[in-house]
Amino acid sequence: MRAEARGYNKLQSTGPLASYISGHPEAVLIRHSSFNFGPYQAGRAGFGRLRVFGDEVFSGPGCGYNMHRHHNFIICAFVLQGELTHINTVGNVDRLTSGDYYAFSAGSGGKHCEVNLKNDDMHAIYMWFLPDQLLLPPSYRRSHFDALANRNQLVTLVGNADGALRVSQDVTVSRLSSDAVMALDYVPRSASHGVYVFVLEGEVHCDDVALARRDSRGIWGAERINLRTGPQETDLMIVETAP
Amino acid sequence: MSEELKRFICLGCGFLYDEALGLPEHGIAPGTRWADIPETWACPDCFTPKRLFVMVEIPYAADEPHLPRLGPIVSPPEPSLHVI
Repeated sequence: MRAEARGYNKLQSTGPLASYISGHPEAVLIRHSSFNFGPYQAGRAGFGRLRVFGDEVFSGPGCGYNMHRHHNFIICAFVLQGELTHINTVGNVDRLTSGDYYAFSAGSGGKHCEVNLKNDDMHAIYMWFLPDQLLLPPSYRRSHFDALANRNQLVTLVGNADGALRVSQDVTVSRLSSDAVMALDYVPRSASHGVYVFVLEGEVHCDDVALARRDSRGIWGAERINLRTGPQETDLMIVETAP
Repeated sequence: MSEELKRFICLGCGFLYDEALGLPEHGIAPGTRWADIPETWACPDCFTPKRLFVMVEIPYAADEPHLPRLGPIVSPPEPSLHVI
């Protein structure tokens, strides 16, 4: 999927969405959605257990989503730039900056607020996963991806790996930050698992397909997926999911 | 025999509609089929329209108090008395 094929929403803190979008005056939230979300519906329902993949920018102090309710979904945010303030009814008030990420499992019911309190823009990737059980006790966990310490290494951020955030679903989120030509084979847990590759920065060859910044590709049934990065700064995320 | 009761999740927020439970607080009786809910109905939490819900086959978390009772409560049989 090319970057421009994604859904695009420009949400403003004034007007009809004033109760949903925070910030004043005229904060703007830009959301690019890989899958069906809200008013954007192009028929891509999601990818396995991954139902939302939002590439979002909160511009203007106070911009974000006001406190609102969820159930069931496991919501993850990966902060790329700026500072995100996350408040939830589990009892957390958290500030996340570049490399920080969280997993908020709404389970039997929880509210959260996502807001940028700074003057600089806040960029984040939001993912929502269906859980493997309904109405779990709500939970919140956070961690940090150190791009420098993990340069040119594929790191598991979410899933069953040391140092990764565990979630109640058969999904794995990995990230690679590289500054050299690299070739690696990504091997899914089984042939029934799907792999969604999203390029944050740089250029990646995924098997024989060239992916540029914000391009993505979903692959089902592969035994291994060959990824090659260019010599420039490259940053990519890989979501592996049960069908 | 009637088809098994199903569960539906709102793609806007994750709100759950379980046919077995209905939504009595919103005037929908337990056992109400998804198909019998008007197309104009929307998620009570986030107002996402009914057509943007999806059917899910996900079990409830263990030990949750929300488990629906699908039939009459059957008491376990009295343990038989053993006299040695």
